[in-house]
Amino acid sequence: MKKLFAMLLAMAMMLSLFACSNNNPTSSQGATGSEAPSQGTEESAAPSQSGEENPGAAETDPDKIDDNPTSADGTYEIAMITDVGDLKDKSFNEGTWNGVKLYAAANSKTYKYYRPANGNDATDEDRYAAYVAAIKSGAKVIVAPGFLQAGAMRKAAVEYPEVNFVFIDGFPLTERDSEDDPGEVLANVAGIAFQEEQCGYLAGYAIVKEGFTKLGFSGGGGGTNPACCRYGYGYVQGANAAAAEMGVNVEVRYTWQYGSNYSASPELQAMMQGWYTNGTEIVFAAGGSIFNSITAAAAANDGYVVGVDVDQSGQSDTVVTSAMKGLEQSVNFGLDKHFGDKWADIGGTATSLGAKDDAVGLPTATWSMEEFSVADYEKLLAGIKDGSVSVDADYDNLEQSYSNLTLTVE
Amino acid sequence: MTFLIRQTLIYAVPLMIVALAGVFAERSGIINLALEGIMIFGAFIGVVFVNMIQEAGIFDGAKADNNWVALQGFALMAMLVAAAAGAVFSLLLSFASVNLRADQTIGGTALNLMAPALVLFFIRIIANQNVLNMSGGDAPPWFMLRKAYFGYGRTDSMGFFGETFINQTYPATYVCILLFILLSVILYKTRFGLRLRSCGENPQAADSLGINVYKMRYAGTTISGALAGMGGFVYALTTANCSASGDVAGFGFLALAVMIFGNWKPLNIAGAALLFGLFKCIAASYTSIDINGDGVCMLANLPISVNLYRMLPYVITLVVLAFTSQKSRAPKAEGIPYDKGQR
Repeated sequence: MKKLFAMLLAMAMMLSLFACSNNNPTSSQGATGSEAPSQGTEESAAPSQSGEENPGAAETDPDKIDDNPTSADGTYEIAMITDVGDLKDKSFNEGTWNGVKLYAAANSKTYKYYRPANGNDATDEDRYAAYVAAIKSGAKVIVAPGFLQAGAMRKAAVEYPEVNFVFIDGFPLTERDSEDDPGEVLANVAGIAFQEEQCGYLAGYAIVKEGFTKLGFSGGGGGTNPACCRYGYGYVQGANAAAAEMGVNVEVRYTWQYGSNYSASPELQAMMQGWYTNGTEIVFAAGGSIFNSITAAAAANDGYVVGVDVDQSGQSDTVVTSAMKGLEQSVNFGLDKHFGDKWADIGGTATSLGAKDDAVGLPTATWSMEEFSVADYEKLLAGIKDGSVSVDADYDNLEQSYSNLTLTVE
Repeated sequence: MTFLIRQTLIYAVPLMIVALAGVFAERSGIINLALEGIMIFGAFIGVVFVNMIQEAGIFDGAKADNNWVALQGFALMAMLVAAAAGAVFSLLLSFASVNLRADQTIGGTALNLMAPALVLFFIRIIANQNVLNMSGGDAPPWFMLRKAYFGYGRTDSMGFFGETFINQTYPATYVCILLFILLSVILYKTRFGLRLRSCGENPQAADSLGINVYKMRYAGTTISGALAGMGGFVYALTTANCSASGDVAGFGFLALAVMIFGNWKPLNIAGAALLFGLFKCIAASYTSIDINGDGVCMLANLPISVNLYRMLPYVITLVVLAFTSQKSRAPKAEGIPYDKGQR
């Protein structure tokens, strides 16, 4: 009996210890509950919610903005729902979320993140449930990053025509998922995509110019995610172009293995260990949290990594540069149209943001390249903008013969 | 070859140490199905510890000076913390199955269900996401041995032995191997070990000779919990970049299989774990394995499907089990709650 008591005591202590370090209202209630059951839980929890967002001051550092804000009336105008993967993946989802937070902070909007049930195995049903939950909590506009959202979004958009959907990495949706009878294009869905092949190209070009000749590419989504495919194809083209200019030959190992749910795994780490051990110098990690497995392998072998979607140089010393797309800008763009009553501009159409919109690029301030200068980069970027450097976006052509590049798909 | 050995050890050692954890529990008469759960919990607490110490900046100086001895001390401390957490967590199982005489299978399953949920709950609170990473950097620069520490340059070779067993290895792996040997000796060559084993075979007889069966079973399960917790952290450290996500990819269950596979005997378990680790390594990185060192990766050129390689570890397990299960002999009294009044 004593042991049981001691154990319960230990558990209670642990619970309260963890709960102290956060401002999540649910857990602070749990803490007060386990520490002092006699105390009124409701009253004691109320003041702890005062860590609310101060809408007056426009914060520019997204990490300083609250992830779990509470609004006075319990409704949230802007909702964000992810498809799979973690919110804080330090990549795609987090970049979008930062955009939401920055916009909300600058414009005093209420916002909330809804995670579909079942995490990485979330189905359309789970996502649909998250949409409904968001709309029930007063969402007027939903930011939905990830192309996997299409099925659930179609269902929700038909049912709630008054709610607008900003579909990041997405495309316009029709009423029904049928080629013969698609119905009307849904005017409340705005598909915003990026020309990832352009920033992939920039990254591939830059690292070959930097002197790397043995490259790798590891993508997420198992080759079904168009954005990741464009990244990879652009990367190979850029590497080939730079190699041709320098008159060298480069090798690229290319894989979709173990990345299908955008999460780190021991298998992927072992595979990357093998690559780095066998001479691969740098790997482009295009797939959310798989980044973690790849940097672990790179760090063990003095190898390097190219980050994706956002500037990932802060997360690992192995990152040379990152192929970025303007997630924050695109969220800002979409939400601005919604709140500025100009939704008709983008609703029901496909918006593709690329170099010409300054929505893709490399982080020149934080990259660790020495041979490839910022001036070279600006020149290349200008070339892509004015069309003198053309980057093919049709990734079905990936396996072609390149002039100065050997591609091995594994 | 170097790569293959290194990578096999990385896979095999957590399996080995957790399988030994299973042996300690089962030899004392308690079926410890909760290995997976305890691993998850241990990994989580270990990573939290690493994260907190990093936040506090205690080892930043050592990291900057490349003082690998201090960093390894840090890793060892994290392992101890994870072991303590595993031991505490396993007390739940001991209490249920020794004091309350509950069904051990159900108790273990309950822990397995509880651990990931609990851990995810805490990770969500701490990090607001589903993975808890190190607070800065990657695991290898902190916890891995590298030749630079011993004065070798980037292109210098340490020789076959050095390259394979020193460069790019985690000393945590060797700590586990030493512990494995030490505990195996304790189990077979000491009075304590004999008493522990007797409680798993015939607790009534042991009790009649004045051995406290309850105490022995508590001891067995607690050692088991400590080893599993430590194994969980070593798994997270070496294969998951020192991150915890409420998941150890089924290594706890694999360890159970390895234990049965190894017939509850340490030496067989070590062999089974190495075999399994080897095939797991081949499955994940067959395209990069260069066995004879001539620069040609033979396996990549064979016309065999990727999926076949991925199946290998499990197929091999099935095959070996089919041949060895005839001789398999579990401790006789395992799974039966000890009741003094029963004859």
